[in-house]
Amino acid sequence: MLFFSFFKTLVDHEVTVELKNDIQIKGVLKSVDQYLNIKLENIQVLEEVKYPHLSAVKNVFIRGSVVRYVHLPAAAVDTTLLEDATRREAAQAAAKAKQG
Amino acid sequence: MSFFGFDTNLPRDRGQQRNKAPGFGQPQDAFADFAGRDAAAGEALDFEETYDGLANQLDETGDDFNDDTFGAGPSVGRDFDFSGKTDVVSQAIEEERMRYAATRPAPMVNYQQSQPAKPKKTGYEPYKDNSYIPQLQADANLWGTAPKRSPGPTAHHRQPSQPKAPRKAMTLEEVEATLRAEAQQQARQPPQPPPSAPPQQLPNFSFPQGQPQQSRFAQPIPPPGQPMSYSHPPQILQRPHQQGQPHGSPQQPLQQPRQAELPGQGISQPQILQRQQRPQPAQPPQRTTPVQQAQQQRPPHESPQPRHILQNPNRLSGHGQPMAPPPHQQQQMPGMQNFPRGMPPTGPGNHQRGPSYNGPIVTNPQQILHMTEEDKAAFMLEEARRSKRNHKIYMLSKDNGLMTPQDKNFITRIQLQQLVTATGNVDSQGPEAALDEDFYYQVYAQIRGASRRDPHQPASQFAHTYLFQTGGRYGMRRNMRHGDNHMQRMEQQVQRAVEAAKAKPKNKQLIIEGSLGKISFSNAKTPKPLLNLKRPEGENRPSSAARRPSRNPNSASSERRSTLRNIENVYGTLMRMEDHERNAPSRLSDDSDTATIQMHMEWREELRNLNQKLWMDLKVLEPIIPNSPSQHPFIAILGHPKGKKAIPRVFRHLEEEQRLTVITMIVVHLDQLDVIAHALPSLDSNTPAPLAVREEVDLFAQVVMPSLFSYVNDAPLNIIVGLLGLIVNRTTIPAIVRTKVGLSILTMLISRAELLRQASSAIDPSEWDQWVSLYNSLFDGTEPSLPSIFPGTVVEADDVHVWQFLAAMGVAASPEQQQRLVIGVKERVMETVGVSRTLPRELGEQRLGHVNLFMRAIGLDVDLLG
Repeated sequence: MLFFSFFKTLVDHEVTVELKNDIQIKGVLKSVDQYLNIKLENIQVLEEVKYPHLSAVKNVFIRGSVVRYVHLPAAAVDTTLLEDATRREAAQAAAKAKQG
Repeated sequence: MSFFGFDTNLPRDRGQQRNKAPGFGQPQDAFADFAGRDAAAGEALDFEETYDGLANQLDETGDDFNDDTFGAGPSVGRDFDFSGKTDVVSQAIEEERMRYAATRPAPMVNYQQSQPAKPKKTGYEPYKDNSYIPQLQADANLWGTAPKRSPGPTAHHRQPSQPKAPRKAMTLEEVEATLRAEAQQQARQPPQPPPSAPPQQLPNFSFPQGQPQQSRFAQPIPPPGQPMSYSHPPQILQRPHQQGQPHGSPQQPLQQPRQAELPGQGISQPQILQRQQRPQPAQPPQRTTPVQQAQQQRPPHESPQPRHILQNPNRLSGHGQPMAPPPHQQQQMPGMQNFPRGMPPTGPGNHQRGPSYNGPIVTNPQQILHMTEEDKAAFMLEEARRSKRNHKIYMLSKDNGLMTPQDKNFITRIQLQQLVTATGNVDSQGPEAALDEDFYYQVYAQIRGASRRDPHQPASQFAHTYLFQTGGRYGMRRNMRHGDNHMQRMEQQVQRAVEAAKAKPKNKQLIIEGSLGKISFSNAKTPKPLLNLKRPEGENRPSSAARRPSRNPNSASSERRSTLRNIENVYGTLMRMEDHERNAPSRLSDDSDTATIQMHMEWREELRNLNQKLWMDLKVLEPIIPNSPSQHPFIAILGHPKGKKAIPRVFRHLEEEQRLTVITMIVVHLDQLDVIAHALPSLDSNTPAPLAVREEVDLFAQVVMPSLFSYVNDAPLNIIVGLLGLIVNRTTIPAIVRTKVGLSILTMLISRAELLRQASSAIDPSEWDQWVSLYNSLFDGTEPSLPSIFPGTVVEADDVHVWQFLAAMGVAASPEQQQRLVIGVKERVMETVGVSRTLPRELGEQRLGHVNLFMRAIGLDVDLLG
């Protein structure tokens, strides 16, 4: 749930989502769920000339499985906290692995 | 009409009924007979005439008002068409009409108006109801909770159905008779339900309308009180049907004809019904025969069905929702019975009564006429209030019907499901688990003040929040009592659902006997593990973390790995301590009970244990091995960025003594610190240290130095002396003074000693002497390096820390030492002054200011250099 938890904090921040088909969409993250499906608003497609069919699209829902990268706004990421959260996640995973 | 064969209808009423009959659009054949009867009565003709005139007038005005209130006339048109679609606004319209009619003297108008309203109800309503309720029940079962709502809705159905059941059986004649009765009632007793007789009417009519849905709901429960109050025939019919007993059906056909003949009875019956219904809202569901079902299906039912979801019949009625006239239904029912299919059965008067009147309801306009002025005024006031409310309800209900009950039910199910999955697991494990699951978000929200609920809030609050919100929404429109009731039921259901989810077996795997594999369950929170690796017990890898790196000096990578592991251990313990801090019990007070004190004891004990663990993890006390090829583990920890970052957090949890030990360790190994050892500029070239090293230095200055400063700034002189002694004796001064971190630490110590000397007169002279001698040796060690103490060239200006160091040295120096200082750095001073003149004014002054730090410390100023 780390990524879900993390992306939740990015709601209302502008992110760039790079899809597996190379389309890059910049927009305001409006919502994310546990599958990391993403809802963007006020989107803008980078290289708009290449994807004219998206030029009129204002908001999108992106299925999590087609996302390759999400470019994060660095200012909105608390690195120290993220490290700790990662440690917790790892500790939990380890505990679960031990439990079987 | 009546059971006993009396014709209770007055001649006038009969005449009225005639008029109505054609309008209803029912099979004309049946009505034709009635018309013949009516013609027989001369009196009836007179009434018709009068009524017609009044009705026309009233209609116009009433329509006007409707336009004002509802903004559109089409509804009226629908009503006249008797199409079932108008049911949406039927109640409100009817009520409005009633009010207006009531205010006016002519009762006839009301009657006519009311009729159109009824047609709005269509056979579809019951259908909706049925589907909706059963679904809810099914859902509840899924969750493992018993569907408690079902009884409520069924009760509603029953009530309406009972009165209706007899009606269905009615023949056209009966219908007409009931109509007459209604007309009479309206004229005389506007509030009372006109058609008690209708229930007895022929079943044929009812069948077409009747819907199977009710049958589902129908339960074997007998209709309480109702039978008594009703005319005998309808009651009997209802009971048998509902209960599945045969009695009712036979009686109905017989009764129907009679009822038609006796309008009077019919009138009285409906009234009774109404009364009964109100007190008995919670009657258990009864099975309805087809006839009854048909009755239920009639328009009144339609509107109530959505309410059934809520389960409170009262609510619906009280609010006077446009869609469903539940309370009215009962009243309407008698009238409705007369009209088999969605016809505009009873006069509007019935409907109107239900919601509006209190006690001495003014059902008939005539009553108003007889009222005293005061009563009239009060009544008008009441009517105005009511109409206002109805209008409001209408406005709010504009979009009613957008979603079918099935739609709503579907949405509700989804929402409940979400609730359960969202809270179920977390709920069962408590807030601490929620924090584990959602650590980053929760803490981030706390730190950055996100507009989120308190992370420590119990997870069950999800459900409460959800419910509260919904309740708020409904609360606006609904009667307080009924609305609350509905919300309570909703709440209960959600709670049950959540509990059921909690009670669900937590096993994540199911191994069916004899099968070769296991079935693992998964949900969004705990995805199905693709790999299920079990680590054999005791196979804990050789805890390289605990091993001293020196034991396998050959492997630099293993040393690095063990250091990283040490750091992770530190962090792990840190987080445990921070969690522990969060769980601190409430503060102790004098009157704390023993349990609280006990909790405190345990908490502190745990805190101590964690502190010890942290201390061990830090490896500070690992023995110092001189000339060891590998670094001291603690210093190695400091060699990594995340090790440095841990220091400020670690310091928070350390005792004073432990902090001193940490600082001592750092000072002792000062020239081994990566930020010093790696940052030493090569003597022969001025190339700056690599970027990575500079970053390390900056990081050290940012995170580690503040911790050291904060401690040293409170330290007494003897500790300063001790630390400086360690530096002088254990490290290589010339190297240290050529690094930023080294200079910073020296500056820190020297300035602290100077501050102590100036601030307090209570300095132990022997300590001070010690300090002076240490300072002297430091000075001696530093002097040779003075020319190379500055990093980079003069033009590159990162030398503030050097001037600060020189200033600190200068303040503490003797005059003779100050002279030597000046000589040592004179060249740099002059160069800087020269460069600053070539720089932009602002930058130049900044540079000069730095130089002045030192110059003023020794009583000079750059300005003197001219």
